[in-house]
Amino acid sequence: MRLTPEQRAEILERHLHDHGHVDHERIDDAVADATAGNGPSEALGARIVARAWVDPEFRTRLLDDAVGAVAEYQQQRVPLAVLQDTPTVHHVIVCTLCSCYPSGILGSPPTWYKSFEYRSRVVREPRAVLAEFGMDVEPGVELRVHDSTAEGRYLVLPLRPDGTDGWDVDRLAALVTRNSMIGTGRPLAP
Amino acid sequence: MHGFGAIPIETDEPLFHEPWQGRVWAMQRAVAPTTDRFRSTIEQMPPAEYLSSGYYERWLWALERLAAEQGLLDSDERPRRGSRPSPSAPVWSGRFRPGQRVRVVNATTAAHTRVPRYLRLHEGVVERVAFAWPNPGESAATGRYGDLELVYTVAFTAADLFGADADHILTADLGEGDLEAA
Repeated sequence: MRLTPEQRAEILERHLHDHGHVDHERIDDAVADATAGNGPSEALGARIVARAWVDPEFRTRLLDDAVGAVAEYQQQRVPLAVLQDTPTVHHVIVCTLCSCYPSGILGSPPTWYKSFEYRSRVVREPRAVLAEFGMDVEPGVELRVHDSTAEGRYLVLPLRPDGTDGWDVDRLAALVTRNSMIGTGRPLAP
Repeated sequence: MHGFGAIPIETDEPLFHEPWQGRVWAMQRAVAPTTDRFRSTIEQMPPAEYLSSGYYERWLWALERLAAEQGLLDSDERPRRGSRPSPSAPVWSGRFRPGQRVRVVNATTAAHTRVPRYLRLHEGVVERVAFAWPNPGESAATGRYGDLELVYTVAFTAADLFGADADHILTADLGEGDLEAA
């Protein structure tokens, strides 16, 4: 009889626990903590984007050395780079080989990001894929799809929405969606 | 590989769809010697099984094998782990410069590589020296992080890769050993 993934995971955990390599209670805590939303989340990414919109000096540092600029919020475990959208260039992030994602500043990736459908199609037909997210990219806009094939992680710095002059970081951050930082969406309209 | 359907976009998605997935997620760090060894183990999954398994089922499959090969299932002995690199800007110059035309090597190894098949033997232009990180093939094979290697962001014209209908630019991060001057 084939074991279910649940049964296999339970057997694996029991053996690892019995030999002191993991601890049941610590796993309980880690899962509860992550599920409660206490772990990394897209809120940090949104804050970084909003700050870059209002603080040109920070934006310059962020684009030049993201690991250094983000260090005041969080130390990075792997290289990080920020790709800035302009009125004529739009960036989209993917990891065709697995699911590399800037989890420290965006939290865990959504299932669609890890799906074969997204991974295989967005490198080949990004306009069709973005249309499924409800996003039209005008023909004159250059689309740049970045495949995270090495250890570096990427964040898109989307265009600041019109009609937000004078807004502060907190107000702006509320407009920054997770998908707008992956490139499969735009920030919310004010 | 292509022929996949619509992107499965879920709204209000839970972090884990079933409780066991969270437990597998939480065991990963204790069991995987390096990220590359973990990825490389997942890639050993028989292709039909890989394509019909969910994300955390693939993780589980790899953790079962990694735990067994390190003796974690029947021994209290702690596995020896090497140190982890940290992200820092490279301070040396490499073989390639921004603006230079390069060709991706034909990385046909049976072992681990981070060169996607769709880029092999294609030419692109170096955009920047992105960072330095241990070679993934070596770290996958040994379970230890080795010497740092320069990694370049290279831009490809999608029409060269996928035909004239593709009008975008594709960029990828490739190690110095994955590239040659074009």
